[in-house]
Amino acid sequence: MNTSLRLCHLDDISDGDARGFDPLGSGRDSLFVIRDGSELIGYLNACPHRGYEGTSMAWRKDQFLNKAKDRILCGAHGAQFDIRTGECLRGPCPGQSLTPVQLTINEHGDVYLHPTDTGK
Amino acid sequence: MNITGLDCLVFGVDDVEACNQYLTDYGLTPKDVSAAGGRFEALDGTAIEIRHQDDPSLPPALPTGSMLRKTIHGVADQQTLNAIAEELGKDREVKRLDDGSIEAADDMGFVLGFQISCRKPISVPAEKINAPGDEPGRPVNVIGADESIEIIPRSLSHVVYFVPDSKKAEAFYIERLGFRVADRFTNLGPFLRPQGTLDHHTIFLVNTPPEMQGVEHFTFHLGGPNELLLAGKRFQDKGYESFWGPGRHIYGSNWFWYFNSPMGVHVEYDADMDLHDDSWTPREIDASADASQIFNFTLVDKWMPGGDPH
Ligand code: FES
Ligand SMILES: [Fe+2]
Repeated sequence: MNTSLRLCHLDDISDGDARGFDPLGSGRDSLFVIRDGSELIGYLNACPHRGYEGTSMAWRKDQFLNKAKDRILCGAHGAQFDIRTGECLRGPCPGQSLTPVQLTINEHGDVYLHPTDTGK
Repeated sequence: MNITGLDCLVFGVDDVEACNQYLTDYGLTPKDVSAAGGRFEALDGTAIEIRHQDDPSLPPALPTGSMLRKTIHGVADQQTLNAIAEELGKDREVKRLDDGSIEAADDMGFVLGFQISCRKPISVPAEKINAPGDEPGRPVNVIGADESIEIIPRSLSHVVYFVPDSKKAEAFYIERLGFRVADRFTNLGPFLRPQGTLDHHTIFLVNTPPEMQGVEHFTFHLGGPNELLLAGKRFQDKGYESFWGPGRHIYGSNWFWYFNSPMGVHVEYDADMDLHDDSWTPREIDASADASQIFNFTLVDKWMPGGDPH
């Protein structure tokens, strides 16, 4: 069925923070979402580091960001990514990028995932 | 060169508080911990040191931004220290630091320290098993499945470098510092053992493109596979992210379980590594899933077969 999956409510992610989701119950978070005010930015939880493609990036549940919370950090080998573009800025995968996922927020603040973007 | 193994790895990190908490939860004993960092020790005094990345006392970072700033090897005596200083002084700067240690970079640019080893002799029994045909490992009425045991990593085991030229890096450790090849993944690089230990490896080199130079992982030895499984389960229950394992490697035979970390490296638990001396003939094979591990598991939630567990 081609329905969108509800991930959470906007308020379930604190502003400036990230949260991982496992919408298909795979046993690990297949994607993560960063909140910037009323905007959300989502990526597959899959590092593009060659040889390690698909590696989960958090170092602890929901810990996807550096201390300043202005970059995404891969807890495997320290790659740093731009939050807005997903582009690798430092570390072992220069020139590569995270895979974005499309999210929609309805008028009640419920966050939905585009059905093709579940990250397996 | 009587290098006895790794004494300490020094990191310059982005999030000191997160790293302090991580290494404490991993099981190391925090020493002198503050907002500026700290030292996290195994039973034998070998350690990880955490500093903020802008701490002026740290050697410079690699251009790739790897957070490992220094690898400190222990040596047996002053004579070895002098011999290393003399050897490396032939073609590079060797600093003598106030604490009596020396510092120099390897041929890949990793900053190395050498000191008379801080590794204390320890006497702690390995975990014991009972098996028909052998003497009981545990005395009668001593139970094996004790969930409450305290697990403190025993000793800093090895570090794995991503290097842009594993042949050149290998030559440095073998020709300049007297390391031996224990075994080799022909498509990645060698497992290297210094002369002062029997442990299968204290360094493993993985050949990568230059932009990946850094660290794959480090690990401490635990008291056996049961400790490893229990420590890893506790760590995962705290929310830490398992990367690979638990399983058992083929080269080195060590049980493994790898986790992500806020130091931007994998951190492993390891147990029961092979010992070798110079009569050992190194094996070699192309690295692959089959060549790397005899098995690999994933922790799942506890469950009770049969329905009514009460
Ligand atoms: S897997 Fe993310 S940096 Fe290596
Ligand atoms: Fe290892």
